[in-house]
Amino acid sequence: MADINEKIAQLENFIMKKCLWQFHSRAWDRKNQNENILRMTAELLCGETVNTEDPADRCYWVDAVYLADSYRERFDWLASMSKDEIRELFLALRERLDYVLVDGSLNEELTDPRY
Amino acid sequence: MPYHEFECSKCIPERKKHAVTKGPGEDLTHALPLGYLNTIPGSISERGCAYCGAKHVIGTPMKDVIHISHGPTGCTYDTWQTKRYISDNDNFQLKRTFATDVKEKHIVFGAEKVLKQNIIEAFKAFPDIKRMTIYQTCATALIGDDIDAIADEVMEEMPDVDIFVCNSPGFAGPSQSGGHHKINIAWINKKVGNVEPKITSDYVINYVGEYNIQGDQEIMLDFFRRMGIQVLSTFTGNGSYDDLRAMHRAHLNVLECARSAEYICNELRTRYGIPRLDIDGFGFEPLSSSLLKVGRFFGIEDRAQKIIDEETARWKPELDWYRERLLGKKVCLWPGGSKLWHWAHVIHEEMGLDVVSVYTKFGHQGDMEKGIARCEEGALAIDDPNELEGLEAMYKLKPDIIFTGKRPGEVAKKIRVPYLNAHAYHNGPYKGYEGWVRFARDIYNAIYSPIHQLSFLDISKDEIPDEGGFKTQRILSDNGLSEEVRKSNYMREYTGSLDIITPLREKTYPEFNKKP
Repeated sequence: MADINEKIAQLENFIMKKCLWQFHSRAWDRKNQNENILRMTAELLCGETVNTEDPADRCYWVDAVYLADSYRERFDWLASMSKDEIRELFLALRERLDYVLVDGSLNEELTDPRY
Repeated sequence: MPYHEFECSKCIPERKKHAVTKGPGEDLTHALPLGYLNTIPGSISERGCAYCGAKHVIGTPMKDVIHISHGPTGCTYDTWQTKRYISDNDNFQLKRTFATDVKEKHIVFGAEKVLKQNIIEAFKAFPDIKRMTIYQTCATALIGDDIDAIADEVMEEMPDVDIFVCNSPGFAGPSQSGGHHKINIAWINKKVGNVEPKITSDYVINYVGEYNIQGDQEIMLDFFRRMGIQVLSTFTGNGSYDDLRAMHRAHLNVLECARSAEYICNELRTRYGIPRLDIDGFGFEPLSSSLLKVGRFFGIEDRAQKIIDEETARWKPELDWYRERLLGKKVCLWPGGSKLWHWAHVIHEEMGLDVVSVYTKFGHQGDMEKGIARCEEGALAIDDPNELEGLEAMYKLKPDIIFTGKRPGEVAKKIRVPYLNAHAYHNGPYKGYEGWVRFARDIYNAIYSPIHQLSFLDISKDEIPDEGGFKTQRILSDNGLSEEVRKSNYMREYTGSLDIITPLREKTYPEFNKKP
């Protein structure tokens, strides 16, 4: 079984190759996207109900469903994890994405007030 | 991911941080090319200006509009026709371009009078067209012509017309990208919210950052209509001026080219609460997941799935035919802004091509982040290369083909590298399932062109073979393929027709009842 860092790397690699939502142009927007989409993905993988009443939430949710379905299909080790382990894994994944895409990013435009 | 220094640019030290090689085990925090900076003097950039970005890329795909540039004829002429953004109104905006023909005397004495005269003359010459966009240029911006005041005067005198003023002279940014930003913001500030649309569906979207290159928008529109979705407006390919004034009434913004149009999506999200969904319209898998996401947003993913199943069954055997013949071919993916990330991973996964380099002329660091994340290790990523750097990269990387614009494309042909036009396409559309097969066919035709093979021979010194006969494209491409592949009953060459867009314009769609 892959250790947690290897698991995070696999999940991260999929997002970086297949998704676009994590690359919004502002630092705050990237953190917002990471937080909401990854939280909902974890909820879906834990079999929990996701609130999709608000249009913004619904938009996060469609990306989360794609991610959860793709992860289930590709990473069979997810099926053997408990809900707590999944939540912990996704918190660590979010920290990692926040670092690569915001806090450790070399993109000088992320905090440019004029874009 | 070390920075890559070009031999030819050692004399331009500012270029050092504009190229990186994607190394094994490295991520975006190790190195990232600089981007969206002023062009370095002495580095012969291939970028366009901010006026070009506003007018040529975003403004002029709007179809029912007189697009007039307030400046010398050269500005408008040089940003005319090369993008092939067709429209379903007999290509009005593509066939004609307008300029106020500003001369030296106007620079001295002012050009407002000539502007007003030209506006009225253009409306009279085309009485069916009641909408106009006026583009500022460097010359008239510098002399301080008040275009807004003249436009207001005309609208008062001619109440049935509406005019949009785009104040994005060439010097208003480092590249065309500055113009994208300006026209996005000007449009939402001045025009969005001015028209109330007729809503005909429970599912209403704006399709944003799509320019109908050779019919891309119409292909996607077909999918959305088959799903019962009302596309309120397209920003801006084949888009209507008044539809785009009603963008505020959509339920969802579906964004394709974030480079050129994320600004208006972000503003629509902030001002009107319309969410932004970024999608990929290129490639079977990315398109399928994009259609599913849009469908799922409205709870109609079953309609999307039906389209995906039908289209995949029809076109996958043809895509696979080309994939078998393109496996391992090396490509430099050198487009303008967004296609380096729209295409980088999917041409590798679905066509078997190896992307050895990505570049962007006017992209920002965000585009490089996406492009580098999606390409494979070892790829060379370059921001705003000059011609010598492009040549050096091609000599070093030895690509089988490059996807780029026509200026660098012609340079590539001189050193025997075939190119496909990534901006205007060769035999598009390239979006949609059939479009993706057409792209694969264009790549195949370019790489295996018998004429291209002959170009490797120098008749002044090489021995010209006179045995073996003429090698056809099929002989060249099938050499080395297994018999199983060559004689496959499953795979086949492209079987579509020359024009796949005109029939869509006459197509009828199923009616889905609107909820009471």
